[in-house]
Amino acid sequence: MRRQLDGIGRADILVGIPSYNNAGTIGHVVRAVSAGLAKYFPESKAALVNSDGGSTDGTPDVVARAGVDLQSVLVAHRVNPLHKITTPYHGIPGKGSAFRLMFDIAAALEVKACAVVDSDLRSITPEWIELLLRPVLREGYDYVAPYYLRHKYDGTITNSIVYPLTRALYGKRIRQPIGGEFGFTGDLARYFLSKDVWGTDVARYGIDIWMTTTAIARGSRICQAYLGAKLHDPKDPGADLSAMLVQVVGSLFSLMEEHAALWKGVEKSEPVPLFGFQYDVGLEPVAVNVDRMVEAFTLGVREFAPMWQDVFSPDVLERLRALQGTASGFHIPDELWVRVVFDFALAAHRRIMAREHLLKSLTPLYLGRVASFILETRQSGHREVEEKIEELCRAYEQQKSCLLEQWDRPLNRGASS
Amino acid sequence: MSETWDTAFVEPMREFFKEVGAFLPHVLAMVAIVAIGFGVAWIVKTAITSAMKAAGVDQFSGRVGFSQALSRGGIRETPAHLIGRFFYWIIILVFLMFGLGALQLPHVDRFIDQVFSYIPHLLLAVTIIVVGVILANFFGTATLIAAVNSQITQARLLARGVRLAVILFALSMAFEQLGIATSIIVAAFSISFGGAVLALAIAFGLGAKDAAKAFLEQRLKKERPKEEEFSHL
Repeated sequence: MRRQLDGIGRADILVGIPSYNNAGTIGHVVRAVSAGLAKYFPESKAALVNSDGGSTDGTPDVVARAGVDLQSVLVAHRVNPLHKITTPYHGIPGKGSAFRLMFDIAAALEVKACAVVDSDLRSITPEWIELLLRPVLREGYDYVAPYYLRHKYDGTITNSIVYPLTRALYGKRIRQPIGGEFGFTGDLARYFLSKDVWGTDVARYGIDIWMTTTAIARGSRICQAYLGAKLHDPKDPGADLSAMLVQVVGSLFSLMEEHAALWKGVEKSEPVPLFGFQYDVGLEPVAVNVDRMVEAFTLGVREFAPMWQDVFSPDVLERLRALQGTASGFHIPDELWVRVVFDFALAAHRRIMAREHLLKSLTPLYLGRVASFILETRQSGHREVEEKIEELCRAYEQQKSCLLEQWDRPLNRGASS
Repeated sequence: MSETWDTAFVEPMREFFKEVGAFLPHVLAMVAIVAIGFGVAWIVKTAITSAMKAAGVDQFSGRVGFSQALSRGGIRETPAHLIGRFFYWIIILVFLMFGLGALQLPHVDRFIDQVFSYIPHLLLAVTIIVVGVILANFFGTATLIAAVNSQITQARLLARGVRLAVILFALSMAFEQLGIATSIIVAAFSISFGGAVLALAIAFGLGAKDAAKAFLEQRLKKERPKEEEFSHL
């Protein structure tokens, strides 16, 4: 690979695609990226990097073969050829390790701007590349987060925990902080690379929230790009939900420790500029099983309650116990859900039990919250759902003062909240 | 008469008091050594307890589930206090042995040698039990969480089984270290553990063959259940 990089020398743009057994979709992603670079940045020297986690379904071959007919996207020619690099990454298996290799290549090529896109996308178009890179190259932004239209039940960790908590803590309304598609400067890529986090959950699913929070904490100029609908294959079908929660929420809580001085001083949130032409799109229906989620919640509360004595205040635990039952009428109010998340953050901060055990025990509560949200929004359209999420965000912001009050208070066993 | 009296009574008494006189300093030395032992033990206990508290041993024990295991066993003291108390009694025991040694009695000396050679085994056995309880709680909790998250209704029973198996294993190792009924305990553990595994295998094979078949079919076909169609991230 080093020889290939030496041959390229320097580049203006790098687009990274992490992959693991995505032969079914990555061809389309590579074609969209190639067309986007040819159409919108024909004069720039660009590299497309596929960082693969050891796919066994021929993903690297698909990447190597994937080409685009420039005439079909009304592009006459490219001034500079697109350099395609397919290379396996090393270290902990995960998306973060794949990103690390891309940052490394970005630093070696001294690129001005980078974009990363997931390899399971089915709705990516050449315009996504322009929307992710133009704010960096032309408008002086350091970090571009995606903004999509998603199915109302899609991205539930984002909607119920990551977006509202990040917004309440750091005061930036970044709607998709763990979206998967980002644009950023070469300088920021080098900064990411310099951080010693590659042995943690950041090397796995924690990478997205880590990049967004690190960009905020660094004081980077941040904007959002409207990319339209996000349709993709289910995220790593073999991945266990608990493991995903541990990686994402664990990274979020670790970042709370690291940037405590920053978020303690933030009192309210502010909008983040949004670029791109906004339009409504129809989204594919998805199947959900609310009964199964409520059963998981009920079983979890019954079995984990003794373990949570030091996590929750008695009234929160009592209210959770009272919610057990059937899906009919099941509802976890926003205010209670925020207390649950804040109490988990405090428990992780005070290290009252093994971190992995604590975070994994959040799974049934999260499923309960998802069930409650689905039941509440069954008849709602996109705008009403967004309004519900906005209400939840306001609940997080209003209750932040309780989190602040307790953050530096030592653990009082049996009455932690 | 007087000669007889001297032989029968005075001489033995003189001899007795002479021996007592010779032995008394040893007894006094023993009492002094044991008294000093109590003082040293108290100082060491206080210092160790404070150091353990400052090092956050109680918080660590809470995190790994050791404090909860103590509570379940009816022990109200904190782990820091327990460690201090353990060293207190070890020091008392050591000083008591020194004190007994001061008596300079051949039988007692042999006994002391045996006790001193046994102390490392005792310490190792206690360490094995403490580590065993910590591991039992850790694996028990991990099993409970994994089983509940997989929606297994008998999760608690499964977790208790894992906890019990680890504790039994630690106990058999500790008893082996102490040399107590070594072969019986190892055999009992092997029979119980092997029996439990065999019973579970038979129960699963007979009682849940359909569930096992469905589970294996699903795993081998790598099919995802319909309800997991949406993405959480």
